[in-house]
Amino acid sequence: MSVYLEKLAEFSALLRREGLAVGIRETADACEILSVLDLSDRETVRLALQAVYAKSREEQAAFQRCFDGFFVSAEQRDAIRRKQEAEAREMAQRRQEAEQEMQVNGRPMDLREDLQEVYVRMGEDKRDQLRRMLEKMQGNLQRSPKLYSNFIRSVFMRFLLEQQMAMEDDAAIGSEAVDPDLALLYRDISQFKEADIPRAAALIAAISRQLDAELSRRRQSRGHSGKLDFRRTIRKGLETGGSFYRLSYRRKRQKKRRLVLLCDVSGSMLQFSEFVLRFIKSMSDISESSQTFLFSEEVREVDPFALQNMDAFRDYVRSSGLFGRGTDLGAALEDLTSRRPAPLGPSTTLLILSDTKTIDLPRAAQALLEARRQAGRVLWLNPIPQRKWPYMASIRTMSSLCQMAPCSTLDELARSCRKMMK
Amino acid sequence: MDIASLQAKLDEAKYLCGAEVATTLLVALRLGRPLLIEGPAGVGKTEIAKVMASALDRELVRLQCYEGLDESKALYEWNYQKQLLSIQVQMNRREADDLTRSLFSSEYLLERPLLRAIRSEKPVVLLIDEIDKSDEEFEAFLLELLSEMQVTIPESGVIRASSIPFVILTSNRARPLGEALRRRCAYLYLQYPDIERETAIIRAKAPNVNEHLAVQVAQAIHDLRQSERILKKPSIAETLDWVSALEALGVSDLTPDAARQTMGFVLKSSEDLEAAGDVLYGQGCEHEHTHEPGHEHCGACGHHPA
Repeated sequence: MSVYLEKLAEFSALLRREGLAVGIRETADACEILSVLDLSDRETVRLALQAVYAKSREEQAAFQRCFDGFFVSAEQRDAIRRKQEAEAREMAQRRQEAEQEMQVNGRPMDLREDLQEVYVRMGEDKRDQLRRMLEKMQGNLQRSPKLYSNFIRSVFMRFLLEQQMAMEDDAAIGSEAVDPDLALLYRDISQFKEADIPRAAALIAAISRQLDAELSRRRQSRGHSGKLDFRRTIRKGLETGGSFYRLSYRRKRQKKRRLVLLCDVSGSMLQFSEFVLRFIKSMSDISESSQTFLFSEEVREVDPFALQNMDAFRDYVRSSGLFGRGTDLGAALEDLTSRRPAPLGPSTTLLILSDTKTIDLPRAAQALLEARRQAGRVLWLNPIPQRKWPYMASIRTMSSLCQMAPCSTLDELARSCRKMMK
Repeated sequence: MDIASLQAKLDEAKYLCGAEVATTLLVALRLGRPLLIEGPAGVGKTEIAKVMASALDRELVRLQCYEGLDESKALYEWNYQKQLLSIQVQMNRREADDLTRSLFSSEYLLERPLLRAIRSEKPVVLLIDEIDKSDEEFEAFLLELLSEMQVTIPESGVIRASSIPFVILTSNRARPLGEALRRRCAYLYLQYPDIERETAIIRAKAPNVNEHLAVQVAQAIHDLRQSERILKKPSIAETLDWVSALEALGVSDLTPDAARQTMGFVLKSSEDLEAAGDVLYGQGCEHEHTHEPGHEHCGACGHHPA
């Protein structure tokens, strides 16, 4: 029994590492249920443990991955161990080679440890590219060692950073959940294929309905936060013989929210803008009083309800002359803040959808400060995955000036919309 | 009770399900944990509670959740009119303290489903249906009941369960439920049955229907559910309604005409009805275009293998 307990405790720890909220109670439950089940039936054990440990559809997907990896037969375990040992040997050899290769003038290059690891793990073709570059530079390096050793280091760094980002993307794609809808929810929107669009649209509609339901519930929540309503209280008192048994309170008047949406539609941003507009359109609470602007190098105000489907949206963007041009956020924000009547005001939330890639970053930052001064709140939705933010200077600058939320997946987009409504 | 005998009891009650459902039900039952069932509308979540009540030979106590549901509707309410009347009648006959105390005795307590479930001498099956429709406050209020099997009534103190009910909560995921509630429950996600199981359900619930028609209907329903164009997916109950309608009309083969005439039993909006034409038997018959050799047509498309 103690062996089982130990195994279960290890399994619980593994699930915890995978993000499942597993406590002592779950482990105790698992232990109790296993004591009455036929342990030789793997499928029954899996289903029983799943009922105990996984408390949502998302957690079920994570549970299945962990279960398959943890509860393996002795032969499978040996095979996995042999494979891991072989991989470890190969990695050790590659590390040794990498140490030799990442040298300038016989001294190791000053690179971050994680980037050195990227060099070890990346494909042979990519390493060849760097080796060839090093060979080409040998002559220059001998002529001016200091100048060219710095240059080579910066080339290495840039190349390795790109590789690191690509590897993270691959890992995200590989970890798709077993449920196709779930997978779509957590997949990078930029990775959507044409065939995924109808399913994504249906998913957006479902999430929007959910958000709408949450919002209406929030609006209707009762509480004793308002002032006493004398008229109602006296009237109610008549039902109970004149005693004021139940007190009535005035409801707090809801502040009308206004939303100004500034959507980047240049090049790769088009798909994100479509999805965000869909969300905004389907959220009846805010869409009534919202204004939408599309921008690339210039700004156009549009009626999102006129662009009911994705084809209409794309056609409009292409015919408007906004598509295929560069991004000038500074100009767009300046245009927005100087318009009369002013679209921005103290009760307005300005929602910017952009990847922060813009010409003239200092001007854009200045214009953002002015927009922040005029609007009650500025929220930036960024379609670039959050793990890549530290590598991009423009994101670092803009996120220091306003609240920035990721929206690279539909799940993140829904979370950001929830945050926006609070 | 083991999994096989539970499955046999569910079969007996004509609830056909897979090993996952039976195992999860048994786990929740054994551990005395509430069971949270999620899934799309119409997959048979509520039915599980009814069937479990019959399988365990227990009474079913049902609490239907809705927006604005509070403890006065779910747990208890003081019989206010009776209390007022009692005050008027006994005002001059009893001591004030004594009278006040008596006003909050069980005589004036109106039991609502939750209180009824835990005060019952015999264990019951408690169905808290569509918990996602209730407010977050009510969800928080349920925590004490679900984890401690007790409730607190401010005027009379803590009431512990006389018997432990088997609690089933259902949710259509109209809003995400709180972590605290989830943690207190075993979890089951129900999906629509596959064609084989749906055929078996049709045959179990409507034994007079011929097998050919049952397969055709199950296939057509499967296609409708798979189609992105159908917004409100047909439920199992609607499948059975459709079969009954076809049976009443004496239909033994699901021709496009028969399907068109009775489609209102399956789809309940004009947009879906319009799209169904394309999905099942219109020019855009999905089978026609996606057929693999040897794959059977749904029947509704009007094309039958030779």
